[in-house]
Amino acid sequence: MDTSSPTVFVNGELLKLYMGRRVRTVVQVTRNEGGAVVGQSTDNQQLTVKGPNQSVPVMHFMEVIGVADGPQSIRAEICTDFGSNFDTASYNGLCKLANGQFKNLFL
Amino acid sequence: MYANHYDGGASHFHGGGFMPSQATQTPDQAGSSKTRSSTTSTTVPLTIKQITEAYHLNDERADFLIDGVEPSLVKLLGRVLNKAERVTDVSFLLDDGTGSIEVTRWVSDSFDTDEMTKIENGMYVVLIGKLKAFQGKRHIGAHAVRPVQDFNQITLHFMECIHAHLDNSRKATAVPATTSAMNDMRAYQTLNVGTGASGDIREVVLSVFQEPASLARENGLHVNEIIRRLGLQEQKIREAIEYHVEVGNIYSTIDDDHYKSACNG
Repeated sequence: MDTSSPTVFVNGELLKLYMGRRVRTVVQVTRNEGGAVVGQSTDNQQLTVKGPNQSVPVMHFMEVIGVADGPQSIRAEICTDFGSNFDTASYNGLCKLANGQFKNLFL
Repeated sequence: MYANHYDGGASHFHGGGFMPSQATQTPDQAGSSKTRSSTTSTTVPLTIKQITEAYHLNDERADFLIDGVEPSLVKLLGRVLNKAERVTDVSFLLDDGTGSIEVTRWVSDSFDTDEMTKIENGMYVVLIGKLKAFQGKRHIGAHAVRPVQDFNQITLHFMECIHAHLDNSRKATAVPATTSAMNDMRAYQTLNVGTGASGDIREVVLSVFQEPASLARENGLHVNEIIRRLGLQEQKIREAIEYHVEVGNIYSTIDDDHYKSACNG
């Protein structure tokens, strides 16, 4: 993992602000098609995740750390299975705070 | 020694441990409680970015100032990388997405070794430890390292970082109101000051000059002492001092860096 660049907490809405940058987000896997996973972001947008580590089952939550390469697409470097019990509302709130008022604590 | 604290993950990992109204504090002292580090043990949840930006007070004592607080312990959450096991210790790099820091966990008995064998590269862990600096480089001496099992803990940890940051910064606006009540107490407490309106800064700076301990000193206080106490930018503090000199609240004594309150306190 490249430790020289911090990863931004994003949801679907914030992803487009960080094009080309390392981001992290959590999506709920809706379908798995070949080399890409389609998931729903914590703010109910559809995101596409390309890359290795596609072993997360459908309906589980998956954390994606990678580079934002499209307004709704991420080129993943690391994917982690976050299980089936994850609070999307809190995570969504965290994304907004980490990019807004408290950005200086994170970036 | 630390083994007992982490059974069931109770006290250290809950929000109750981070707020100043813990254990030894009475209600009206709550405002300054967090900084009396000799009697209070403070555990502060932090992002690694906050650590890398923390103001380092004293090279020998390795004291750091974050949001006006000198934490005795820090709580971090992130991924483990480059785990290296040696005879007396295990070390790894912790990356939480805001930065990375070296962590060392000394292993002296089987409890420690068992705890660390469960930790693998790529895993999310929570750790509690002491922040240290050596030759300018910061690192953590971990007391306890636990794998994250419920990933909501990640969201929770960063929320706690925000909460603790807000709480410490907010003490600034509360403190000037209670300072006059605390004036007859021994004054060497670091005030928690946030970056509020300039009016707040002026009040707080004046209140430092008006403490009995400051009044008792013949040459008053040096500007650098005010900066150290309040943890604010030098520019802002000098502005506040200039204002007070103009208005007549304080005057300079032996040189341009020493000031004393003109009031009898």
